[in-house]
Amino acid sequence: MKDKLHHLWIKIIFFLGVIGPGIIAANADNDAGGITTYSITGAHFGTQMLWVLLLITFSLAITQEMGVRIGLVTRQGLGGIIRENFGVRLTALAMLMMLVANIGTITAEFAGIGSSFGILGVSKYLSVPLAALVVWFILYKGSFRTTQKIFLLFSFFYIVYIINGFVIGPDFGAAVKDMLKPTLEWNAPFLLTMIALIGTTITPWGQFFIQSYVVDKGLEIKHYKAEKVEVYAGAFITDIVSFFIIVSTAATLYKHGIRINDAADAAQALRPLAGDLAQFLFAFGLFVASMLGAFILPTATAYAICEAFGWEAGFDTTWENGKVFYSIILLTIFLPAAIVLIPGVSLIKIMIWSQDINGILLPFILIFVMKIINNKRIMGEYTNKPVGNIIAWLTIIGIILATVALVVTSFMGMN
Amino acid sequence: MPYLSELLDHKVKDSADVVIGRLRDILISPKAAEYQPLEYLVVETKKDGENILIPYSFIGSFSLRAVVLKAPINKITVVPETDDNNWVYLKRDVMDEQIVDVAGARLVRVNDLRLNIFKDKMSVVGIDVSTKGLLRRMGLEWLDFGDWLKVNLIDWRHTQPVRGILKLDTVARNLNKLHPADLANVIEDLNVKAGSQLVVNLDAKSAAKVLEEVDPHLQKVLVKYLGPEKMSSILGQMSTDEIVDLLKTMPKDEAKIFLSYLQNQKAKKIEKLIKYEDDTAGGLMTAEYIRVSPDWTVGETIAEIKKVSSSLRSIIYVYVLGSDEKFLGAVSLRWLLISDPKKPIKDLVKTFPLSSVLRVDQDVEDVMKVMTKYDLYTAAVLDKEQRMLGVVTIDDVMRHLVPQA
Repeated sequence: MKDKLHHLWIKIIFFLGVIGPGIIAANADNDAGGITTYSITGAHFGTQMLWVLLLITFSLAITQEMGVRIGLVTRQGLGGIIRENFGVRLTALAMLMMLVANIGTITAEFAGIGSSFGILGVSKYLSVPLAALVVWFILYKGSFRTTQKIFLLFSFFYIVYIINGFVIGPDFGAAVKDMLKPTLEWNAPFLLTMIALIGTTITPWGQFFIQSYVVDKGLEIKHYKAEKVEVYAGAFITDIVSFFIIVSTAATLYKHGIRINDAADAAQALRPLAGDLAQFLFAFGLFVASMLGAFILPTATAYAICEAFGWEAGFDTTWENGKVFYSIILLTIFLPAAIVLIPGVSLIKIMIWSQDINGILLPFILIFVMKIINNKRIMGEYTNKPVGNIIAWLTIIGIILATVALVVTSFMGMN
Repeated sequence: MPYLSELLDHKVKDSADVVIGRLRDILISPKAAEYQPLEYLVVETKKDGENILIPYSFIGSFSLRAVVLKAPINKITVVPETDDNNWVYLKRDVMDEQIVDVAGARLVRVNDLRLNIFKDKMSVVGIDVSTKGLLRRMGLEWLDFGDWLKVNLIDWRHTQPVRGILKLDTVARNLNKLHPADLANVIEDLNVKAGSQLVVNLDAKSAAKVLEEVDPHLQKVLVKYLGPEKMSSILGQMSTDEIVDLLKTMPKDEAKIFLSYLQNQKAKKIEKLIKYEDDTAGGLMTAEYIRVSPDWTVGETIAEIKKVSSSLRSIIYVYVLGSDEKFLGAVSLRWLLISDPKKPIKDLVKTFPLSSVLRVDQDVEDVMKVMTKYDLYTAAVLDKEQRMLGVVTIDDVMRHLVPQA
């Protein structure tokens, strides 16, 4: 029996091994920041932001596909390519932006861990330091690949939101109408949520992650067609989940005017499906998603920076040779954990503001990507087609305009 | 003496103090392993923004403010820049790229290039890989006002650019100075494309050694990249047990294709080995060892060792087999060296305790116990009828224990 179980595990892990980067990157998108942002979007603004979600599904598909293509052609991570084509100064700028965005995201992950245990009555002063130690220990001693796959498996949990959506039986007609009819409010809360919605769906780290995933897996340009299909499918699937989270919270919380102040509020949206178990179900999902992000992000950050600056990287290097690598890992685990532990800080706000930071920094990372993908010297015959360029530039300009609008409305609000 | 970053983008003036344009790049010839004199300056002209090449012999002085030429511009033989010249562009092709530091056996990035006079010519002599170089590039050198950071220069002659800017023969020449295990570590650090390019450029024997050393995950990727033709010549240089390990990571039909590339005899050996579990004596063993007949003399045996040693990993023992493949014992190299060459082997064979040989199905733990107890570097593996199947060498056991090294 034990043998059989063991066999089953191997099979599942193998299955996840062949799942491509598109689905994995997309699924990892639904992390602590993601689930919180989608929940708040639905709870505070109903379904009126669904049109943004529809548009950024295309943006996500296009930008992820560009990452895959650069990875397949150059067989190198984004950090390395930026360094080889933009010199030290711009590389330092890009890496700094990525570092800030990623520390923000990791802080959201630890806030997610604190929140999920909070639902179960466990203090964040216990759960967060413990989780930080576990993450460090597994990264340093254990098998990163296996752990990552196990958490990915659990993170398919979000399918419950789709089922939940059907159980509630919300007004799909209205939802589709909102999806096709853009509405905008010129106030800071709306714009903040909108930028977070974009920044949690298309992320700077996702851009680095998918590219190095393709490279590490040893995929070649002959796999391009299959990868393209997969990336598009991944973008579509992840946003279907997002759609149902928004619809679920809109039909429950928004309808009754409940605002989300902590994770327990967000968990109420699962009540129609899970009843009294909703809290546990939500806590479990949030915890798993947060842990997944807490594993992937410090490592991805450290690898990208070391690749760009030529420092030795990897958990098999010695402390002496890998000083910078280990320092970045430690910084990106324990600084976020410390931020979450500040007494009285709102975990929900951390989770959504960190997505705003991501959203605001995203256009700049995308500009680097655009410069690279349209460079014939690098990409040869695989440069962007006009459609891809138009969608990507519209995304970049759209986010920048939203950010400018946010700054303007914030100042007007203060007067 | 200057760093490249201190010269780039400075004004270029002729002897009449007329500004011609700005220095955008410097060209050297594509030869590795020696200091390279600067050949041409790439100057973006002020007039029309076109790039021109000015031979280095026209340079008067190289100050940190401007490059001053010896002659007025109309006396200088300017070469137009073509797209497909064979020069190496220091900024475009070398700066910020990854290089293999052959002396340090590691992979680094070029932060800056050090220029100096060598044999009366301004040449590229060193590669700055230090943090100080990074600060210099960012114009932030003042941050290091206490001069805490050291410049770390790598001798230009001891480096190997990773990208295909230098010709193949020089690649092999430089990298062969590295131990295969170190080279394998470098390749593990490289991105896949550069890593595979390095392996492609190695001769089959070195490539085989490197492939044995890299981790299984990368092994798989490299095999895919190298393709059947190169792989078959590499497989020809690998020992049977390593080939077996490699084939086990592949899908069955792919493995079959690779097997078909091998000589018949070797393929048969491998088919026999492949059925054993990884962590048993059978899975660890190799089918290559020196076998001798009891009737041979010591002299004949030593001659045989000399003949076959190049294809074997270990020659510490020769194994004595009877006519029916039955295992009779082993003779150490030490005994062979100090014995009379005319003496027959059967007089030297020590009566072996049966507990010091291995059965195919013994697991790693047992293998280690036996080898430690009897201080063996290699141990014979026998089947039930006492026929010899192969040997387990100490390095295979070590590899199994410390797979990451």
